[in-house]
Amino acid sequence: MRPLSQDDIAPTPWPVTTGMNILVVGVGGQGVLMISKALALMAQRRGFAVKQSEVHGMAKRGGIVFSHVRFAEQVWSPTITRGEADMLVALEWAEALRWLDHLRPGRGVFIADTRQIVPPFACRSRKRGAPSGYARETPAEIVGRHADGCALDATGIATALGDSRAANTVLLGRLSAWLDYPVAEWHDVIAAIVPKGTREINRKAFDAGRGWTPPAPDADPDLVAAVPDALPDRHVGVAIEAAWCKGCGICVKLCPERCLAMDGPKAIVATPSACTGCRVCEWLCPDFAVTVRNEGVPA
Amino acid sequence: MLDVAPATPFDPKDYLRLQYMPHFMCPGCGHGIALRALLAAVHDCGIAKDDLAVVCGIGCSGRVGGYIDANTFHTTHGRPLAFATGLKLARPDLTVVVVTGDGDCLAIGGNHLIHAARRNLDLTCLMLNNEVYGMTGGQASPTTAATRLTSTTQSGAIEPTFDACALAAAAGAGFVGREVTRQAPALKTLIARALRHKGFSFVEVMSDCTEVYGRKNDLGEAPEMILSQKADMRPEQHNDAPNQPFRPNALPTGVFVERDLPEYGARLRAHAAMIRGDTAR
Repeated sequence: MRPLSQDDIAPTPWPVTTGMNILVVGVGGQGVLMISKALALMAQRRGFAVKQSEVHGMAKRGGIVFSHVRFAEQVWSPTITRGEADMLVALEWAEALRWLDHLRPGRGVFIADTRQIVPPFACRSRKRGAPSGYARETPAEIVGRHADGCALDATGIATALGDSRAANTVLLGRLSAWLDYPVAEWHDVIAAIVPKGTREINRKAFDAGRGWTPPAPDADPDLVAAVPDALPDRHVGVAIEAAWCKGCGICVKLCPERCLAMDGPKAIVATPSACTGCRVCEWLCPDFAVTVRNEGVPA
Repeated sequence: MLDVAPATPFDPKDYLRLQYMPHFMCPGCGHGIALRALLAAVHDCGIAKDDLAVVCGIGCSGRVGGYIDANTFHTTHGRPLAFATGLKLARPDLTVVVVTGDGDCLAIGGNHLIHAARRNLDLTCLMLNNEVYGMTGGQASPTTAATRLTSTTQSGAIEPTFDACALAAAAGAGFVGREVTRQAPALKTLIARALRHKGFSFVEVMSDCTEVYGRKNDLGEAPEMILSQKADMRPEQHNDAPNQPFRPNALPTGVFVERDLPEYGARLRAHAAMIRGDTAR
């Protein structure tokens, strides 16, 4: 895993004349539409044709909300297809991951708030402190590896400035670093669309986002990966494909030999030598994550 | 269609569209277990992927077909049996499997179920019964057991439930069976028998909705739910106590009906040939 460095997030502004596809995503009530409105107004003032389309109204928090903003000399289709977005602005971390594939491979810019809003369906257990099914990918795994851009705690920055609701403007400020338009024009556009009483906080939030620099990477990140024990060469064995495991715990509870255990959100093979190859876990895994090797008992 | 299982071991990855895996279903959802059992049964019957058509309706169960690397068909709500009827009549060489849910099959598509069973066309209908409309937020379905909490029965369901197997049998299905996902190998055998049966085969799979139904009713997490299935079922005893309540504590499983009835496709083709012969004369 490559630690985040200054080079990763140094913006190379697009020239003023280039059209762009910008995808803004989040959950309801975060200001996805405010960002896209600001972008659309800005592009309009620069003389571009603009098309914007959205899904909105999921104000209950948890519903997906997205907005496509396309501007160029001429725009025909109002939507951005997979792999066509030049920029992805995400106001919520899991939404950032959900839409990652819409980014143009290789040169799309990824800007995300790292704040998590855990949807109710991700909570497997109602016990306090129980692990949730929320996306496990960390910003360090995404930024610089799958996409270039930056992940910042925009909500935290906005809260420090006095109003967490300005997180969207922080991200807009960050986005503006990639667009070669004067700051004064951005301030103008924001003042034109936000409610009068919030102009000051939005201006401050915009500047904070635009001037954001990544914190220095940890000197010695704890990245030592656990090396799994090699399976002994036996005629029976069990393996779990971690990428498919959703951690429901069925295999762990139903294994008669207690070979398996939960390791955080996933099941692992704890005592491979105890496996008798009975295939109970394989049959009952709803996610096809368990494979049992046993020449004696056909699958 | 093979009568005995092929020698090659079953690997579900051969039958899945790997690009869509892991599938969208919640952790512990019984539909994944039913999908595996279906694929294993297809393998047992030696049906080539090109000769298999899976028709699905709408709902969590409707998404099951999309993960199968065969000819799949995602249709309108409640109407997979109607689509499958057309498909099977046009392509009698295909093995047509309908994967549907309790709401899809008994509420929205209840009419299609009884008429498909009545006609006895050679289809295999797999009804994944999780007793709730999971995808749309946990509303009560025609199989939601009494006293169960759902988002539309906030103080407990009061309606009597459908016994889908009895319904299909009464409507004239040639093969009717039920199994719980806990007994996945038995479920596979049951589905394989249904696939081999010539005529309308109806298999009800008792599946667990862990995230919506289980949570709302405090049925425990996925392992507890699947373990409790065993306490709920009474294999092959459905004839002993016909007045037992359907659920929660007396769930008959096994094959209820297996009878040779005239198959609709063959009858229709014979009829068509007869008419054509008449006109030629």
